[in-house]
Amino acid sequence: MKTPAFEVHMPKTLDDALETAKHLHEGGHDFDWISGGTDLIPNYKWGINPKPHVISIFGVSELKGISATRIGAMVRLQDIVESTVAHPLIVEAAGTIASVMIRRSGTLGGNLCLDTRCFWLNQSETWRKSIDYCHKCDEGTGADCRVIPNQNELCVATYQGDLAPALMCLDARIHLASHRGTRSMLLEDFFQEDGITRNVLETGEIVTHIQLPENSADFIGSYQKLRLREAWDFPEGGVAFSVGISADGTVSTINMASTGFESIPRKHIELIEALDKGPNWALEAERLGAELKRAVRPVLNTWFPPAYRKKMASVLARRAMEETSKRVTSG
Amino acid sequence: MASHPLPLAGNPPVEVWTASVNGKQVQTIIKNYDVLLDVLRDGIGSLGTKRGCDMGTCGCCTVLIDGKPRLSCMTLALEAKDRQVTTVEGLSDGHHLHPIQEMFAECGGSQCGFCTPGFLVTSAALLETNPTPTRQEAMDAIEGNLCRCTGYQQIVDSIMSASKILSEGIQNKPITEPASDPDPGFGG
Repeated sequence: MKTPAFEVHMPKTLDDALETAKHLHEGGHDFDWISGGTDLIPNYKWGINPKPHVISIFGVSELKGISATRIGAMVRLQDIVESTVAHPLIVEAAGTIASVMIRRSGTLGGNLCLDTRCFWLNQSETWRKSIDYCHKCDEGTGADCRVIPNQNELCVATYQGDLAPALMCLDARIHLASHRGTRSMLLEDFFQEDGITRNVLETGEIVTHIQLPENSADFIGSYQKLRLREAWDFPEGGVAFSVGISADGTVSTINMASTGFESIPRKHIELIEALDKGPNWALEAERLGAELKRAVRPVLNTWFPPAYRKKMASVLARRAMEETSKRVTSG
Repeated sequence: MASHPLPLAGNPPVEVWTASVNGKQVQTIIKNYDVLLDVLRDGIGSLGTKRGCDMGTCGCCTVLIDGKPRLSCMTLALEAKDRQVTTVEGLSDGHHLHPIQEMFAECGGSQCGFCTPGFLVTSAALLETNPTPTRQEAMDAIEGNLCRCTGYQQIVDSIMSASKILSEGIQNKPITEPASDPDPGFGG
């Protein structure tokens, strides 16, 4: 496949990168950011929304570096997996991403900003042309959504990143930068329920790093993932669950987040609020699983049918909770 | 892609690309947006690196960049500029095959051979960092490479045998000169 022509910009510092973005934006040029390229380059090769300019943050040293509470956007996923300082829940979730080869290229920032996926979209150009394209990549045809027809307002492509739910369960904050300045927010506020806009990033803004709370080491959790093959595949559904253990050994907080079911990874605060935080919290696994099953709304745009993915939401939640309980017991 | 109205950035610039490919300093002119695979195959003429799926799934295009296996089909050539790139051609010293290459031949790790360069490069990198992998570690290391012929068992056997040679200097069988085809087929 031929890569469509675009121009790569390789800034060396964050300021340079933001300045390049500002310059391109003001000049009326469309552009994308690229870090590992494992999502963007295959999409470009298939002609899915390519842009004439691409800014590579490969050389930007400010975006690198990993510690117990801070992970830079440009940290490769395999470096997280091999890290001795990253939180075990992040390491576990990172270890399930794609294959070791993809993880050596893919980055934290790229995984969080992963483009949403849909089997009507992630296809070759010839294939998409044969169905007259779709809403997300309509090539100027104004094509209808192929999953939910007769509406051209919402793209329901599925968000299939693995790290987001794990990071949400650790109360992570995401830090963004643009030429206008920096801002940060809880990770659950970063995403937007639309397969096209996906998140709150504005033109010229990038993710710089993830910050975990100082007490993140007190969180114990588990990430469970549904996929067809044990390597490479995106999650058809994923559930992360964590409990925060206070100094006296009691459970202070409980978190649960899911991915792969909708256009957005979701932290299920309302389901957790009803949960008993007493010593018997782990006995609620069945009930919590059933509630998660009711809460998620998968559509027919990935490999497995929505009914099965919905059913598996309850299984994954139960497994994540039981595994967490085991880990809490074994210390 | 011909029918696609390419969002051309005018004329994307061309630039001089230099790197050390298999220990040899090379210089070529690339298009600014070229991926490493295109530069290696079309610019340098290193045809050992295969273009498989071109989407990062199959691992046929694996090369080492500064000793680490990377998918060259998804890596911008500019990322590898002025770095050490090793392709499958760089594993042997020109006279002697790398032990992993010997063992692929010995254990039947290669059948149609298209995926073999990727497997060889990935396995060689594994043995470089971990000369005595367990079977599971070997399987984990090659999870990003696809082979539709062997069923993987022979490939893992090859890695384990090569590991023995590298770590203990033990060979399963003495390596012989290329033998005549034991099953010559028609007209043999």
